[in-house]
Amino acid sequence: MDPVVVRGLSKTFYDEARGEVKAVQEIDFECRAGEIFGLLGANGAGKTTTLRMLSTILTPTGGSATILGHDIAAEPTAVRKCLGFYSATTALYPRLTARETIEFFARINQYAGDVKQRVDYLIERFGISKYASARVDKLSTGMKQKVSIARTVAHDPPILIFDEPTVGLDVLNALEMQDVIREFRSHGKTILFSTHIMSEAEKLCDRIAIIHAGRILACSNLEGLRQVTGERYLEDIFVHYVRGQG
Amino acid sequence: MNWKIVRVIFANELRMLLRDRRTIVLAILLPLLIYPLMIYATRTTTERRAKNLAATVYQYAVTGSQAEQVRELITRSTEAAARAATPGKNEKSGAADFKLQEVKVEDPAASLKSGEIHFYLEGLSGKEADALPKKAAPLSAEPAVGRSQAKGPDQVAPEPSRLPGVPLIRIYFQGDRDVSQAGSSKMRDLLSRTRRLDRNALLLQHGLPVKPELVMASDETSIARASQVTGSYVGRFLTFILLMFLMSSGSIVAMDSIAGEKERGSIETLLTTAAERMEIVAAKQLSIVTVALVITFFQVANLLAYVNFKLIALPKDWVIEAPPITIVTLLLLFIPLAAFTASILLMISAYAKSYKEAQLYFFPVLLLSWVVALAGVLPGIALRSAIVLVPVANVSVAVREIMVGKFDWPMLASVFAVMVLAAAWALRASANMLSKESLITASEADAADLAGGAALFPKHVLRWYTVMGAVLFAIALNVPQLATFRAQILFNELVIFLGAVLLMIRKYRLNVREALALRPVKPLVWLGVVLAIPSGLVVATGVFRLANLVIPVPQRVLEQFGRELMPKEVPLWQIILLISILPGICEEIAFRGTLLYGLRRKLRPVALALTVGVIFGFFHVALFRILPAAFLGVMLTATALLTGSIFPGMVMHAGSNALGFWLADSGTSVANLGWSWYVAAVAVFALAFYIFYRARTPYPGLRP
Repeated sequence: MDPVVVRGLSKTFYDEARGEVKAVQEIDFECRAGEIFGLLGANGAGKTTTLRMLSTILTPTGGSATILGHDIAAEPTAVRKCLGFYSATTALYPRLTARETIEFFARINQYAGDVKQRVDYLIERFGISKYASARVDKLSTGMKQKVSIARTVAHDPPILIFDEPTVGLDVLNALEMQDVIREFRSHGKTILFSTHIMSEAEKLCDRIAIIHAGRILACSNLEGLRQVTGERYLEDIFVHYVRGQG
Repeated sequence: MNWKIVRVIFANELRMLLRDRRTIVLAILLPLLIYPLMIYATRTTTERRAKNLAATVYQYAVTGSQAEQVRELITRSTEAAARAATPGKNEKSGAADFKLQEVKVEDPAASLKSGEIHFYLEGLSGKEADALPKKAAPLSAEPAVGRSQAKGPDQVAPEPSRLPGVPLIRIYFQGDRDVSQAGSSKMRDLLSRTRRLDRNALLLQHGLPVKPELVMASDETSIARASQVTGSYVGRFLTFILLMFLMSSGSIVAMDSIAGEKERGSIETLLTTAAERMEIVAAKQLSIVTVALVITFFQVANLLAYVNFKLIALPKDWVIEAPPITIVTLLLLFIPLAAFTASILLMISAYAKSYKEAQLYFFPVLLLSWVVALAGVLPGIALRSAIVLVPVANVSVAVREIMVGKFDWPMLASVFAVMVLAAAWALRASANMLSKESLITASEADAADLAGGAALFPKHVLRWYTVMGAVLFAIALNVPQLATFRAQILFNELVIFLGAVLLMIRKYRLNVREALALRPVKPLVWLGVVLAIPSGLVVATGVFRLANLVIPVPQRVLEQFGRELMPKEVPLWQIILLISILPGICEEIAFRGTLLYGLRRKLRPVALALTVGVIFGFFHVALFRILPAAFLGVMLTATALLTGSIFPGMVMHAGSNALGFWLADSGTSVANLGWSWYVAAVAVFALAFYIFYRARTPYPGLRP
């Protein structure tokens, strides 16, 4: 069974001003073990809502999803225990040091092994040693990004969700982020990755789902998408599907 | 609940708090200095004022045709006061330490103004006093000593009760000067006392048959111990003071706890961890309770230290006794009080989307907490009453009783249970708020602000009605020109209701047909309307009678209302227009029109009907009208929701008002019907709503 299985997942918001908003409409996909699965879509397409539902922040209004066999609605705590969630909006505690931050998230996510050893390893791995004792509010954006990634994997979860992780980062930091994600894949992690940047999806993802207006329009690897659409570049493939929908 | 996780979050919260220097200074260090300093400064200032006033030699002048008699009276009064002065007696009137010195001045009014003298007295003969322009005052034989505040000698004096022909002494002082006011007050007391003595002496001289055995003196002796008297004072305010400390210190942590995390974005990080909502909330609540209790402990210890070192002096006759049973019982009540306070603060923090919003909600909650915490001050409220079920107020009353040595154990146990349950409920509510998506994800919140226009209206609608209500109340209370029957109704209906609706439509560019539900209805609906008008009136009257059983309305209030509603001088056609047609149109447009339209997506249909109805009820100002009006409001809203149109409600509203007036005018009262009539009316009313339901065209765009 695939580690992430999504079936008919829907989310309808009720907004005072706009009335009923169908953010996600009956989407289906699955994420295979050890792959990077990309959700590619424009702003407001439903990527973040989907990932928030998978991380149990939001409750689905229809359909179901399982993470390592745990149903997101019935067993939210078990789901969260086996995933790490990273997004541009998930901030850190400014008054904790980098080391305390990683330790806090390892403990709160009930890391089974030796927390101290794990924290030391992550500090070493992400090159945080120099500023491990500095408070997060004193760190630069790049440093914070590293601490953020370290806290995401502090409990060594098998599934990782990255929601537009490179938003707001400069080119070098964005490239570093891509390297880190690739490295996680090489360690056998299953990664769900959302982006609206075509080149990023093209470089990183093993399979891509094109999402638009809350619906998945296509889901395949890059080669498969090329064959179906006859387009070479992902940008053209994306436009092909979105315009076709319109 | 995984307590390991709770401990990790709790430790993290405390660590972050201790690293926030600003919080430490504002929450702990400053109050440690400020509260005692405030008390010390207040007490010192009061003492200094009393000392200064006691040392003051009051300079005064005497004027008027009866100046000599006034001088003689003052001399006699001061001598009598000096003779009567004993340590116990003179304290109250202060007559013995009243030092006076007459100053000869040309123009007493000018001298008073310039500060040369503290006050002056004008002695008037009975004739002169009678010639003064009179103000309505009941006649009696009380001392004729007048006190004129900030008025020149030529102005009309407020005349105290005085028989014709009795000479008058008027005291002029400068009300904005403390010494002048104190001096005139002392002089008035002095002269009044002498007048009483003179009057008694005169009565005796003129043969009033006063036998000592016929005149009963009264004396009072409190059988309470000094510690009980002190306890009754302290007990009244102890909960209030403690709650102030808990609220002020707890709020600093609470506001930052969830609202602050939302603002920083760390709440989403926390919510994606393996911690459950309840564990997060429990840890945060524990941290608030800990900080609030620690700071409160510091504050209390600090105050006691100041008292101990005599920096703050307690009243001399205070005796504080705190046996172990009192301390333990108080602690048993204060700990759930602290937990409840923390839970409420956490609720505010969880509900608000930002730190600033949390602070906005905190203020009214603080005011409300003061009101309930002062329940112990109210006389006549015993713990053995329904107050035991009101959180915080029950602790306040219980503490008052404990402090005078009264331990009603079953009721104290009930207070404890109520407080624990209330704290648990508030904690659960906070956890639920952390699961409420609209409160944890702010991304959708500003869509209306960006869209503006009609999209923004639902966000603003309640503000409009709050302002409308405030204007209606303010005008009713403060503008007598609009207090007449015609003017008031015309102003309310045309300016407040219709005017505001037009403004709303214009400002938010609302679609008039949609906003006012101007839709045709199925013909069958009108049959329901015909049935609903008389039956609704009788049912509403029944509701009024039921309410009257709980809160009785005095008959004279009802009669006065009836007279105001049916003034004899207003022609019938105007009355019909004013109490039937205009409300039927304008009030329906305002309540079943824009208010319903604005709230339609905020609440589900039942809550929507109740809310619109209750708001409609509150606009009927008079307390006894609120409940029946609210009932009719709910029914009219339900009609609009079922028929999707404002028109049936308009006809029902106008018809009900007209029928009510016609019945009252013809001397027929539906307020004295037998209960079977009300039951029959309920049945007919239900039939009318069944018809609405069968012929329904639901109001569009409702929240599912």
